[in-house]
Amino acid sequence: MTREGSGTPAISCRNISVSFGEVKALSEVAIDFPKGKIHAVVGQNGAGKTTLARVFAGLARPDSGSLAVNGKDLGFGDVTSARAAGIELVHQSFALPPSFTVAEAIEFASGGGIGFYRRKNLLGRCGKHLDALGIDLEPYRRIRDLPIEQQQAVEIARALASRAGILILDEPTAVLPPPGIESLFERVRKLKDNGVTIILILHKTREIWAIADTITVLSNGRLVAGPLHREQTDPGRIGRMIVSADIGNADLGGHAVPEERTGGTKPESEPPAATGRDMALELSGIVTADTTDHACLRRISLSVRPGEIVGVAGVEGNGQVTLVRAIAGLAEVSEGEIEILGKPATNAGLARRRSLGLRIIPFDRNGEGLSLTSELWQNWAAGELAALPLLSLINPANIRARCRSSMSNWSVRYSSATQTADSLSGGNAQKLILSRELDDAAGMIVAAQPTRGLDIGATAFVWSTLRRARARGCGILLISSDLDELFEISDRVLVMLSGRIVGELEPPYDHVAAGRAMIGAAA
Amino acid sequence: MSEVHEFAVAILRSGTPLIYAALAGVIVQRSGIWHLGLEGLMIMGACATVVGIVLSGSFYVAILLAISICVAASILQWFVIERLRANQIIAGLGITGIGIGGTAFAVETIFGSLAAIAAPFGVPRIGAAFGPYSGLSIFVLMMPFAVFAMWAVLSRSRFGLRLAAAGEHPFAARSVGADPSIMRLVAFCVAGVLCAIAGAELAAGSLQIFAQNMVAGRGFMGFAAVIFGAGHAVGSALAATFFSLVGVVGIRMQIHFGAFVSHDLLLCLPYLATVFGVWITGRARNQFKP
Amino acid sequence: MIGRLEAVLRPLAFILLATVLCGIVFEFAGYSALTMFDSIVQGAFLGRGALEKSLRWALPLFITAVGVGISFRCGFFNIGAQGQFYMGAVSAAFAADLMTGAPAALAVPLSILAGMAGGALWALWPGYLRLRSGTDEVITTLMGNFIAALILVYVTSGPLKDPSGSGQQASTKMLPPEFRISGSDGVSPAIVAIAAVVGVTGWLLVNRTAFGTLASLAGRNPTMLRFQGGKIWRLGLMSFLVSGALAGLAASVELHGPSGRIASGFLPGHGFTAILVALVASYAVAATALAALFFGGLFSAAIFLPILAGLPASAIELFNAVIALLITANIGMRTGIRRFLPRRWRV
Repeated sequence: MTREGSGTPAISCRNISVSFGEVKALSEVAIDFPKGKIHAVVGQNGAGKTTLARVFAGLARPDSGSLAVNGKDLGFGDVTSARAAGIELVHQSFALPPSFTVAEAIEFASGGGIGFYRRKNLLGRCGKHLDALGIDLEPYRRIRDLPIEQQQAVEIARALASRAGILILDEPTAVLPPPGIESLFERVRKLKDNGVTIILILHKTREIWAIADTITVLSNGRLVAGPLHREQTDPGRIGRMIVSADIGNADLGGHAVPEERTGGTKPESEPPAATGRDMALELSGIVTADTTDHACLRRISLSVRPGEIVGVAGVEGNGQVTLVRAIAGLAEVSEGEIEILGKPATNAGLARRRSLGLRIIPFDRNGEGLSLTSELWQNWAAGELAALPLLSLINPANIRARCRSSMSNWSVRYSSATQTADSLSGGNAQKLILSRELDDAAGMIVAAQPTRGLDIGATAFVWSTLRRARARGCGILLISSDLDELFEISDRVLVMLSGRIVGELEPPYDHVAAGRAMIGAAA
Repeated sequence: MSEVHEFAVAILRSGTPLIYAALAGVIVQRSGIWHLGLEGLMIMGACATVVGIVLSGSFYVAILLAISICVAASILQWFVIERLRANQIIAGLGITGIGIGGTAFAVETIFGSLAAIAAPFGVPRIGAAFGPYSGLSIFVLMMPFAVFAMWAVLSRSRFGLRLAAAGEHPFAARSVGADPSIMRLVAFCVAGVLCAIAGAELAAGSLQIFAQNMVAGRGFMGFAAVIFGAGHAVGSALAATFFSLVGVVGIRMQIHFGAFVSHDLLLCLPYLATVFGVWITGRARNQFKP
Repeated sequence: MIGRLEAVLRPLAFILLATVLCGIVFEFAGYSALTMFDSIVQGAFLGRGALEKSLRWALPLFITAVGVGISFRCGFFNIGAQGQFYMGAVSAAFAADLMTGAPAALAVPLSILAGMAGGALWALWPGYLRLRSGTDEVITTLMGNFIAALILVYVTSGPLKDPSGSGQQASTKMLPPEFRISGSDGVSPAIVAIAAVVGVTGWLLVNRTAFGTLASLAGRNPTMLRFQGGKIWRLGLMSFLVSGALAGLAASVELHGPSGRIASGFLPGHGFTAILVALVASYAVAATALAALFFGGLFSAAIFLPILAGLPASAIELFNAVIALLITANIGMRTGIRRFLPRRWRV
């Protein structure tokens, strides 16, 4: 493999469009990635980065366009021929069967046929391969016993077992702690020296400038620019391009709070004086048991006053999911105390916590927030019904009437209370959840990514709703990966990293300081 | 001494169909589907073998007929589960029902009555050289090799790894170019062949007779062996052997001790053992469930 | 709107499809499919006394199927109706045997309660294992079916054996006439009343209690319900208990009604058919009644099929199995039929 900068591109695609149902994930994307370089592909959530990677790897089939690898045409939607052409994709959440050993996980990917092997030979072969890559790992260990960085290393080793010429890594840094990122980058640079073309999907400016030779920006499924040589551009410009579609020309690099975008909401009110009142939420020294699914909490203490919005910033996967579950009583808390509106709730179930006034707008709107195949009124009434004795008689007509009036108050667009929840748009679905969670008895609201996937109008609605709840005296814990959102409506922002609170920011907010804290760089 | 041989022969006779059925269940289990159609496929195999022998006069024609019918039914099951996205449990029970009802229907259509059909001969025997075991069929002789082959394919081959990946993490299989759906089709076809053999051995291995509903739950017992053996080829074969051992011992106890021990309650042991096994594995996996 | 319409059309479409498929098979096998379907309709519903005979099979089927529907609705795949039915039969038979000579007004209700308790207990342990330690209920209830069948064999050929039995099939003694709540035709005011009570209670439970709505949410998305403070184990245990108790009730009705005794391996397809009934009815109670009548009718027609059409009774079994194979399939109802509906119906 040569290291020429020009010549035939490693991957060249033309007019690639992909749609999932009615959603356009990519439209008319055309890029050439030169050989032997490290390319960063950046963009916000939903910009189409992962879809593009999957198109290259043959896992997604575009509606139109063409794709060439090293100048040769490659068909769409066929993993085997993409791999034969030398393209390997390392997924964000790794695609390794947990019960496999490291050796098996590398072997199962390496070709078709029956392929009998002897265990000893396989372990030996795999050990050599890992050594050659500088990965220090016993080939007989099981995937499920490995920490996440080593799983990633295994997946990279798997990808390179077949001498890939093009390695695509989908958000490889999202799951890694800072030292892990450093060693990943080290590994990537070494691969580049060996002539491998690398495409990295990233979304942090700092990482982009640490590693990439060229930068490609996607936004809303369209190519904004790229591949741009790093010398041709600067972080501010890239930052503006990333968010261009959303906030027009707002200055992302700047430190100012973005202008008021919430339309006709009340002016910001000072949080009511909290003297003499209990905290809305008080966590002291919460530690959760290890699970394989999500990062655990390592001694988290935080408190939310009534009438205060506390933001939680952090790179996804640093324990935010577990934090919400611990507050909800759905994660096993091994140490620490939880108080909700002044009442001890450490050992209480969620039903009891709800009766104290806790309300949760969960991360996963469609999985945790709604039952998509159930009717609207059932979704709406689930919490109140769960608090009743099982055999208590209910009057569905009455519940439906209350549900309808509540939905009208929250301007949910629906045609009947008996339609199923999957017929609502994202914004309306979130409004339905809000109408359920922000009832009069709500005293402490945990809002996890409440505006993810919503358009500007719906986002503004959610923000004004949260502000109104604050004005009413609710405590609000807002967990978001969007700093702009946090800075827009939070009274203060906590920064979470690896299951700990590592910093607290107060207005006027500073993006740079926040960014540093989020990745664990010394402030 | 002859008592020991007799005992071994009894276990091999009753255990071999179970082991083949369990192997069929194992390969499908690995690909990520619970095979609850084993019972139906076995009875199809049993019926096709005996009817084939009676009609054609050749064992080889009969076993080919059994294999093609079982493979066709397996493909049907795969199609309904994988392509029409039917519930695998209900579809499996449906295949079982089609096996039981369909064989009865076929027998009555062909022979005009539901009486048991006797074949003039059965599966070829292994021959006098094996002394007390000479009455066993060649399928019994093949059985250890089948178990070994299944183990080698599932646990010592790339194909086995891809199959397991299709079951455990379909996306992983897909992202290395192994279509989980196709892997399952292969598994179902192999299972069809194995079930045909299981049925042939049951009906023509020693008895040479086909009677209504003669599988009598052995297919489900094979499935239980898969679960008890944790989806492992050797483990499941051992589980199936254990099940047949319990059955044989139960019958002996009945003969020797009469009223002291209830044969029927002893026969519960394999099922209880399966429940216990599933409970233990389930406990290990779900430490925290609200 | 579309949801309701689909719930009605879907099972009908599958039954029609199964009819066509089986019809083709029957024609190939040399029977006249039309004669056969005609004789099924006659034998099940239209012929003289056919409906009563169908009801005899439909009533216990309905009772069990309501229970199956409740546990499926809640998301628990309790396929152990057969075992729960047998254990209900065994405990009701023991209770009736113990109370020989007692006044019927006392003994019969107690025996029926014992049957319900037996069925409920046989559903309780798989439920408990599932909810406590995540043991898969499909396997445990399936194994429970076999264990219960063996216990039934043991009981009918041991402790409760009818010494004067012919030996063909082990069975218990006939209950004394005063313990019977119907003749062997199986349709009596008492049994119809029991089925009606089950229907009304089941309907109330599903449509007018917190349990019903929560169970349906739990079946569709337990995570969401957990985030709303729902306790899945409470719902699950209750649904297991209710489905087991109803299977036990059906068995008691069978014992005190048409059968008058229990025999080893009696009504072997009861549980499976009840599951089918519940699936065809999409777990709705009123539809369960219709579906039970349909499958009960098929069952009763099977007895007359050989006489009327010269067709093997197993044809019905085959037909049921084809419905089972297809009933849970997703054959483009959403995409297929919706396209032909007026836009305002497409919610």
